[in-house]
Amino acid sequence: MFDAGDDLVERIVRHLREPVRVDPALDARVMRDIDPPGSTARAHPWTWVALAAILAALLVVWPWGSAPAPEGGDRRQFVLVAPRAITVALVGDFNDWDPARTPMHATREGVWAAVVPLPPGRHRYAFLVDGAEWRADPAAPRAADDGFGAPTSVATVEAGGT
Amino acid sequence: MILVALLAVAQATAPDPRLERLDPAARPPVVQLVDSARAMGLPTESLVQRALEGAAKGAPAASIVAAVRRLAADLGRARDALGPDAVPAELDAGAAALRAGAPPAALTTLRRVRRGSLIVPLAVLADLVGSGVPADSAAAAVLALAPSIRDVELMEFRRAVERDIALGAPPATAVRVNATARTARPGRP
Amino acid sequence: MGKDNVGTSDADLVRRVRAGDTDAYAEIVARYRDRLGRYAVHMLGDREDAEEALQDTFVRAYRSLARCDDPARFGPWVYGILVNRCRTAGARSARRRRVFVRNDAALNGAALPDAALRADFADLVGWALARLGPECREAFLLKHVEDLEYDEMAKLTGAGISALKMRVKRACEQLRAILSEAEHV
Repeated sequence: MFDAGDDLVERIVRHLREPVRVDPALDARVMRDIDPPGSTARAHPWTWVALAAILAALLVVWPWGSAPAPEGGDRRQFVLVAPRAITVALVGDFNDWDPARTPMHATREGVWAAVVPLPPGRHRYAFLVDGAEWRADPAAPRAADDGFGAPTSVATVEAGGT
Repeated sequence: MILVALLAVAQATAPDPRLERLDPAARPPVVQLVDSARAMGLPTESLVQRALEGAAKGAPAASIVAAVRRLAADLGRARDALGPDAVPAELDAGAAALRAGAPPAALTTLRRVRRGSLIVPLAVLADLVGSGVPADSAAAAVLALAPSIRDVELMEFRRAVERDIALGAPPATAVRVNATARTARPGRP
Repeated sequence: MGKDNVGTSDADLVRRVRAGDTDAYAEIVARYRDRLGRYAVHMLGDREDAEEALQDTFVRAYRSLARCDDPARFGPWVYGILVNRCRTAGARSARRRRVFVRNDAALNGAALPDAALRADFADLVGWALARLGPECREAFLLKHVEDLEYDEMAKLTGAGISALKMRVKRACEQLRAILSEAEHV
């Protein structure tokens, strides 16, 4: 199945094969969604359940979301793993390279994140750690060095948000 | 009436207030570069951003001025290659591709073979060359895919190539294999 | 993937549902819920998205049950619906760029987890899975976690068998590369 000595992939598969428990309440939701054969047109209770769920989801999402996505653009998530950092700022073309504009939030120990609305185009950016150290985004393409002595990354946003 | 017109002209040519952040040694040459670019009908926002980037990173004035001058020249070349109808975001991406080493002819051909926005194909071209793919291989691959592939698939192609390079594939091979795989496959979601 | 110990096979249940016994469908859902859920969670990297895709899958399967040609092979057939639902969900969430930060979810596009982060193996696997392209992840999960045969996978995914084998191989290589890097940090 795997190459000889492939303990790592076997470990991964063993882990992934562990049973996942899904909330049995799903069954009831499915059964409510299904129209029993021969039913007459009436207000199905699941319609209200679905509406309530959508409203609840909006209430969760709405205050968390900041500005709406710019026309034709997209909201992008930026993440940096920096467990020893005190502060991390996202700095780039989209915020005039001002470190004060987009401080990142530590979402879990050592994981910093920010979500930013971006217009279509190619955006240069980098992370500023503790106000002193510039870091590129390891998960993004690098921009050409501009002689500024610090690394830069690029985020590309497609036009018209495919 | 004349006063209004004069005021309007004065407003139009007033330096961008953001450039106040620049070192006094850098500010006048950058302002002049931005003004010349505007006079030539080139977009100026990315020039301002390049200067602000240099300022944020504490770069010496000479580096900042040199970088802005280079970018202005690249934007001009991008417009020559892409034509006067190119939008600012396309010129930015085109400038990046040219700076990375893509030949201007590739940009012109791209405009001919692909409908709609060129932002993503140009950005992918720039990023591939920036990852070590020889400019002609990158251009050939993007041009082969450009007529029919969607933006989101082009970005996935770029990611796949970079992954393969990270796993040890020679860059030109990585591009060839991934481009062939995609051109062989009929359009899929 | 068809008969349970007590003796009511998938085929029996499907036939009963088709005959009008809707409650028999609840039995099918209960039977497949966790197994399909496992694929959805690993494929989408987000439990909420997975449950939504799962619910959607079961409803669609019910509505198109007449088109399940062989009731005894309900399993692979419903997997096909799930795989498609997950593709749609994946494309939708890629556009939304949601922040996933949960125990069983992956850090999409994040930097390599620092060893100083007490990330457990589960987190690392989720993260590494998210870094595979969706096609490789899909093929890997269907083959090695869900135990489908290549010919079944070919029917479900619309890809050729040799393309699928290549994707699985690449997934294994990439997982090995990504995770051995992580473990040695």
